[in-house]
Amino acid sequence: MAGPAPAQPQFGKRPKSFYFLAGFFALFVAFLYGPMSAIYILSFQGPTGGLTFPMRGVSLHWFHALFAQERTGDFAGAFARSLLLAALVLSVTVVMSILAGMAFRRRFFGSTFVFYLAIASLIMPGILVGLGIGLTFQLFEIQTSWFTSALGAQLTWTLPFGLLIMFAVLSRFNRAFEEAGRDLGASNWQIFWLVVVPILLPGIIGVALFGFTLSYDEFPRTLLTAGAQNTLPMEIWGMTTNVTSPALYALGTVTTVVSFIAITLALGSIALIQRRRARRPAPETQSGPAA
Amino acid sequence: MEPGKNSASARGAIELVSVTKRFGDTVAVRNIDLKIPGGAYCCLLGPSGCGKTTILRMIAGHEDPTDGDVLIDNENVVGKAPVERGTAMMFQSYALFPHLTCRDNVAFNLKVRGVAKAERQERALEMLARVRMREFADRLPAQLSGGQQQRIALARSLITNPRVLLLDEPLSALDEFLRLQMRGELKRIQTEFGISFIHVTHTQMEAIALADMVVVMDQGRIEQADSARHVFERPRTPYVARFIGGQNVMTGKVLERRSGAVLIDTGGKQLLVSAPETLPEIGASFGIAVRRDRVRLQRSEGAPAGSTLNSIGGRVSALEYQGSWLKITIEDAGGEDFVVNEADSTFFATPVEVGDIVSASWAPEEVHYLSAASVSR
Amino acid sequence: MALVLLLFFGVPLLVVVAFSFFDYDGINTNPAFVWANYAELFGSKVTLALYLKTLYFAAIVWVITLLIGFTVSYFLVFHVRSVLWQMGLFLLCTVPFWTSNIIRMISWIPFLGRNGIFNQALMGAGITHEPLEFLLFSDFAVIVAYVHLFTLFMIVPIFNSMARIDRSLIEAARDGGSSGGRIIWEIVVPLSKTGIALGSIFVITLVMGDFFVVKVMSGSHSASVAMAMSNQIAMVQYPPAAASAVLLLIIVSLMVAAILRVVDVRKELAR
Repeated sequence: MAGPAPAQPQFGKRPKSFYFLAGFFALFVAFLYGPMSAIYILSFQGPTGGLTFPMRGVSLHWFHALFAQERTGDFAGAFARSLLLAALVLSVTVVMSILAGMAFRRRFFGSTFVFYLAIASLIMPGILVGLGIGLTFQLFEIQTSWFTSALGAQLTWTLPFGLLIMFAVLSRFNRAFEEAGRDLGASNWQIFWLVVVPILLPGIIGVALFGFTLSYDEFPRTLLTAGAQNTLPMEIWGMTTNVTSPALYALGTVTTVVSFIAITLALGSIALIQRRRARRPAPETQSGPAA
Repeated sequence: MEPGKNSASARGAIELVSVTKRFGDTVAVRNIDLKIPGGAYCCLLGPSGCGKTTILRMIAGHEDPTDGDVLIDNENVVGKAPVERGTAMMFQSYALFPHLTCRDNVAFNLKVRGVAKAERQERALEMLARVRMREFADRLPAQLSGGQQQRIALARSLITNPRVLLLDEPLSALDEFLRLQMRGELKRIQTEFGISFIHVTHTQMEAIALADMVVVMDQGRIEQADSARHVFERPRTPYVARFIGGQNVMTGKVLERRSGAVLIDTGGKQLLVSAPETLPEIGASFGIAVRRDRVRLQRSEGAPAGSTLNSIGGRVSALEYQGSWLKITIEDAGGEDFVVNEADSTFFATPVEVGDIVSASWAPEEVHYLSAASVSR
Repeated sequence: MALVLLLFFGVPLLVVVAFSFFDYDGINTNPAFVWANYAELFGSKVTLALYLKTLYFAAIVWVITLLIGFTVSYFLVFHVRSVLWQMGLFLLCTVPFWTSNIIRMISWIPFLGRNGIFNQALMGAGITHEPLEFLLFSDFAVIVAYVHLFTLFMIVPIFNSMARIDRSLIEAARDGGSSGGRIIWEIVVPLSKTGIALGSIFVITLVMGDFFVVKVMSGSHSASVAMAMSNQIAMVQYPPAAASAVLLLIIVSLMVAAILRVVDVRKELAR
């Protein structure tokens, strides 16, 4: 993320504008999280509860309904597919972003072209990508499925993100580390595994987080490319039109919990690594006599 | 101290033969020849961009020369990997791996060579003890101060058992106090291990204090490669004299030849100075250097410029108290600065003030003639 | 990577273009090269109306997200003093990015609905006596959902460029007697313009390419270009859909190009 700006040196009285802006910020956060928390609460509706407040009791009824497959479609299957697909996208994105990021440190033939290709595919409306891949598969008479065409469709979205993050990470990576590795007799392979990857690990975890969550929640690109078997967001999409019970909210709560687990794991491990590496230096002890 | 005080058989002798390095259109190093005896402490000295770091990196094997050869102990090493060369480099930022403890940093070379874990741990601890950092073995680099990090970097380089240790501005990241301490430490370790140290710096006093051999560079060329004492006392060119400091450098065109002296035009004034036995031609470039501490200050107006031998007149433009001596800057008739370093006792016996008219003179034997070839530059 | 992008992005794009020229008689699709799909597209009054509607959404959402994004970033960068708090609050703003868009959109339904929280609150407070009908399944709801979903894309790049602004510039301006407003306008805005441009590209392309927010939040009362396209796709009318996709693509590219003409984003991205 951004290089944090240094804290202001003076700690005087805060200007009036601070309180105004802080209020604005609080409102924005409420706007961001308020409605979301409403559905999380509503997903615990009692069995007779409806789509809005008031709560009629508190229960896990709708979560049970979700897994019971009564009228909610193939929830468990979609859930499993989404997780597996997200794991696939994560692995491919991480590997390719690292390799591409390393390659981009030198200008190579076509590097500008690849760069613009990545940017274009990042801002391309998702449904166009989905349509294009769907039509391509139709043209070549290949069955679309979640682990081929949908995987590809999602990669057009996660790879550019991964690449941009690697740019940011590598721009702060000191090449002297690699040279030191070479100087100490490491082979290229050893330099990569023992030096580059561990040092870049926080950034790589960031790429993984993007790869996982962007894939797990991806909808417009996947819609036309997933083939016969749905992924979770498509299941939710289907439910918005035909399910009118809090089961929908329960599903929302479950997917969000998964997302939050991913976020917590990723950010937590990044924070852990950063803290481990940035512990405050010990006070200067005069080890060894002044010569 | 003379270069190569260790026997000729000492390891780590380096020779550069007609080495040139270009980066695109810019020439970083121009056709350089240099011999560094084994076991020497050599400082490459020059302003930033003079090519000194490029030379270091070519010896280390992190750059390949565009032209020419690099020999270590009479063996051409161009194209070889750093370990095969028997060199080890200490980076300016130290480049300690932030994810490894000090012990694992030091043991890195042993690890990539496949040394068993118990043995490499033990040897890393031994090496840490030699740089007096054993008790910090399990710390991460971020938990150490700059000076401590440097010792770890030193240990990590030395464990490869190099013939030559290459140091890129090793002291620049430290504060003044630590810098002096580490300076002594580097010298101690170099003597203890008996290998060549090549140390890149832009600080003159650092080079003079440490080095057996100082290589002064400018714009990709070697201006002078000599013992520290010679570089300081007998700079070869005006550039070296000015860069090393402590000298008044006077250059100009020869106007008149007299017995044992020439009258030169410095572009703003005329000066009558001692000349070598073979007098330079009229119109030739001529340059001399006189140490600031070998000049006498007269508290009175001297004779008109160019009339008295080895003398210059002007107005005191600045005074700096330096403790045991004073730095007195005189602005001469040509608007150039001339500096006299005078012992504090002499100065305070008859002090001068800024604005006073004074003159300065020096004995003929204090005149050091600069290489005419480069005076014109 | 280049291969994957080419295979799943470059090739499909060409296929869409190819399909847009295929012959389509309402039932069957035959490979051919005809302009009929485009003729139909341009001949239809619906097309223009759809584009106007989509641009209308894009413009409103762009202005709102820009104002919010700028204000929030400004607060975070220049008013939050501790780096820890700054990063914490920044993460607070970005975490929803990693959760499902659809769920976040749906969450407005119980909030804005006829018996929703907002109406209940209004009536409870005695401000209104009857539930407001326009809240859900309306353009208003669409815009609220867009702003909710896409403001993040504005905050992150603006925050990034603002965080790089040298504080001493601001202090120098303040010492020079500039007022707060002038400092923002003459220093902060120009120096964060790459972030603003990047955020704008994201928000505009996202709104232009959206179909599901419009569909759900307007209750099918409103429409957008991409939604019409997705309806055509649902009815297997591929060549007309492809033609309208190509048109959409051209228009979006023109808008992005226009933004890039004003601000050179390349330097920022390549860093």
